Amino acid sequence: MDTALRRVAFILLACFTLLFAQLNRLQVYQAEDLANHPANTRTVLRDFDRQRADIISSDGVLLATSTEAEQGSFRWQREYPQGELYAHTVGYLGFTTGADGMERSHHDALVGRTSSQQLVDLSNILNPDTGPGSIVATLDHGLQDTARRALGNRQGSVVALDPSTGAIRAMWSWPSFDPNLLSDPDSSVSTSTYTELLNAEANPLRSRAYRESLAPGSTFKVITAAAALEAGAVTLTSPVFEATDGYVAPLTSHKIQNFGGRTCGGNLVDLLVRSCNGPFAQLAAEELGPAVMINQAEAAGFNSVPPVDLPAPIESSYPVDYGKELQTPNPDNPAGLYENTPVLAQTAIGQNEVRATPLQMALLISGIANDGIIPTPHVLQAIQTHTGQTIAENSPGPWRQAMRPETAADLREALIAAATDGGGATAAVNGLVVGAKTGTAEVGDGSASSHAWIVAFAGPPDGPPQLAVAVLVEATEGSGDQTGGRVAGPIARALFEEFFTE
Amino acid sequence: MKGTRGVELTLLIVGAVVTVAAYGLLNLGVRADVGGLVGGFGLILLGLLLGAHIVVRFAAPYADPLLLPLAALLNGVGYVMIARLNSGLADSQLAWTFIGVGAFCVTLILVPDLGWVANYRYTLALAGVVALMLPLIPGLGVNINGAQIWLRVGPFSIQPGEFAKILFAAFLAGYLADKGDLLSISNRKIGLVHIPDLRHFGPLLSAVAVALMVMVFQRDLGSSLLLFTLFMVMIYVATQRLAFVAAGLVLFMGGAVVAWRMFSHVQRRVDIWLNPFADPKDAGFQIVEAAFALADGRIGGTGLGSGTPNKIPYADTDMIFAAIGEELGLLGATAILAAFMFFVSAGFRVAATTTDTFQKLLAAGLTSLLGFQAFIIIGGVLRVLPLTGVTLPFVSYGGSSLISNYIILALLMRISDSSIRERRA
Repeated sequence: MDTALRRVAFILLACFTLLFAQLNRLQVYQAEDLANHPANTRTVLRDFDRQRADIISSDGVLLATSTEAEQGSFRWQREYPQGELYAHTVGYLGFTTGADGMERSHHDALVGRTSSQQLVDLSNILNPDTGPGSIVATLDHGLQDTARRALGNRQGSVVALDPSTGAIRAMWSWPSFDPNLLSDPDSSVSTSTYTELLNAEANPLRSRAYRESLAPGSTFKVITAAAALEAGAVTLTSPVFEATDGYVAPLTSHKIQNFGGRTCGGNLVDLLVRSCNGPFAQLAAEELGPAVMINQAEAAGFNSVPPVDLPAPIESSYPVDYGKELQTPNPDNPAGLYENTPVLAQTAIGQNEVRATPLQMALLISGIANDGIIPTPHVLQAIQTHTGQTIAENSPGPWRQAMRPETAADLREALIAAATDGGGATAAVNGLVVGAKTGTAEVGDGSASSHAWIVAFAGPPDGPPQLAVAVLVEATEGSGDQTGGRVAGPIARALFEEFFTE
Repeated sequence: MKGTRGVELTLLIVGAVVTVAAYGLLNLGVRADVGGLVGGFGLILLGLLLGAHIVVRFAAPYADPLLLPLAALLNGVGYVMIARLNSGLADSQLAWTFIGVGAFCVTLILVPDLGWVANYRYTLALAGVVALMLPLIPGLGVNINGAQIWLRVGPFSIQPGEFAKILFAAFLAGYLADKGDLLSISNRKIGLVHIPDLRHFGPLLSAVAVALMVMVFQRDLGSSLLLFTLFMVMIYVATQRLAFVAAGLVLFMGGAVVAWRMFSHVQRRVDIWLNPFADPKDAGFQIVEAAFALADGRIGGTGLGSGTPNKIPYADTDMIFAAIGEELGLLGATAILAAFMFFVSAGFRVAATTTDTFQKLLAAGLTSLLGFQAFIIIGGVLRVLPLTGVTLPFVSYGGSSLISNYIILALLMRISDSSIRERRA
């Protein structure tokens, strides 16, 4: 009997040890993640009921403000005069729903807790009549509104960056939602809206610009081209690839066909203009190999979380495992041979397991526009006092070097050609220098068969590019076999027209 | 004897000092004032514990010296946390503590010997079933938060189930002390497994039936799991036959799967357990908030009065462990776990040193009740198990729970005292 007793005691003590282990997991190992979870309202709510700084767009439009509540148990309530337009960037703040967007990531600045603000408060200590001031977003209201109108009611997102600074000029994702409902002082309204949105089919709460990644399709060929240029495997003019209808990688009999089964070839500029699949797949599989491709994708920001000042951005992914090495790279076969070389060939055209967020693709095209340097993306431009005096400016500088300046210049030349004669021509605007690469990522058959992408930059004829854009129109029920050129290109053009005629 | 009681007294004073210090820190944190309140509270607490100690000195002088101080510490920390969470409940929790300690003293004084209890085992079983069923009678029972386990008596709500579990432990101890040997004899063997005679599965089947009944009719998943665990532990200790436990588990799992299919409230609990973050604002809210609270506490805690534990629904009852983890941190929460581990170890030691089979089984059963109840609710809070509403013994707010736990404590100390007396004689 005592043996059984000892066993029971042992089991019970083991149960308690399990509790102790889980307690450590929650309070130590996962504590940081839990504290940053979007549903965690604790940090933000610690100083919930106070007047927060206004958020205004770079062109002076009021995006968020604190007003005195007319009902409920709190004195202050947050209002968003632009409704759904800034739901994923400015975000929302509600007592039961917590906070997202800038309301969360710039909480300290909004409640006046950054060091520069406290210094100003200290000097104003004899003059207590100071409001909370305002923070200025990099977002351009005209451009943001253009993005919404151009995308319409199609599921997808639009990101527009200043390629030299990383300032986010527009970031729109549809479906969106009205943040005023989530900050409603009536908690039954805010909670039921939140639950409804969370369970809605396309999850409008999640920004598709930085929290969703999809196959980038042919827009990814820009990276394959960069890798080939950096490795010295090609120049813009040579070699000239023979025109074929596709490419069969080693170890497989599956043919990677050109779009629409066309025959396609030429030099690198031609390949990008015509968006040939075969030669890019061949370059990756036979000339570059996994190491070069992985290096280039990661240099351009893949497999890293972009350092954007918005909550919980996700990383874009490029596969890193190509299986066993069957043949070591050598002068005759610089790419080597791996079990998954056929997969490598597919990744070269942005298919298989390659996934990119529209933000990542906008950063990539920014890097090309900006001589190879990808800037740090950001939405906070400046912090101002209540009198409008700027007390802190936000210019976070470069994020990473994606490629050499010469490679970036070569790619600009090729993409300008692609926006003149290729699929990207739908993004071209008279009087501007536009470069573009379209993408059509096949995701299946039937009525929802392809994601339409475009990455593009534009600038005046006498200067560097001033706007870099990524557009994604997702495959949805009824969207059919939409192509990047036909569907995404005109959205990029609308943005360029708006931006450069201001 | 003197040594034993001296240890107890010292530990009680340590427990009281910890509690009073926590109470003082709480007042400092909330009101920036340590003031006379704390002095008064300290005197009340010390008086109460000294009273219990003196009763033990006379009524059970040889009893284990760890049990009472551990219970007092848990009760004290729980009281301070309840006072912090909901000052309106603090006075009534204090009153329940007095009644609980009173019940402890009365039990020790009125029951100098437990031997006779075994003779009334069937009466006890009947009383247990009646107590469990009472809340199902229309007019008598009240449904609170979906569970039909409460009786409204004048201004009070009592949970007869809290007392029924003690009655069931006593019945099973009596029954198994009598029939245990019979159950462990097997006359058939299939392969390597000895299969006991089928008719001895009677008590097992009724045990599973009672547990499932509680789950289905009263919608009280926690108590159902606890009763089932109690039955399995006691049958296993009495027979040392894993076959019974295995058969019981299979039956209970079968019943649980059926219940899961038939009842949406069971499905809901399991879904929330597996993926609380799927709906963090509604269905998963309680468990997600508990995780956030614990994450806020980190290692040292936010400090008493400095966190926001009231964001967790039912922070003063089911979820009190999360509130403790937030404000006292990993260190404080670990101290609570350690206190339960010490208590359980002391309880099993009492069972192991007792020679009388009935009392040995009763001690094992009562210790398991307390230990597994703590595991079920803390496991629920920490997402090791699906969350089911049972109280954290001695810590959570609630009169029935406190009184029944103090009675369990008195019975364990009574068994401990008798076994040592017997050995000396």
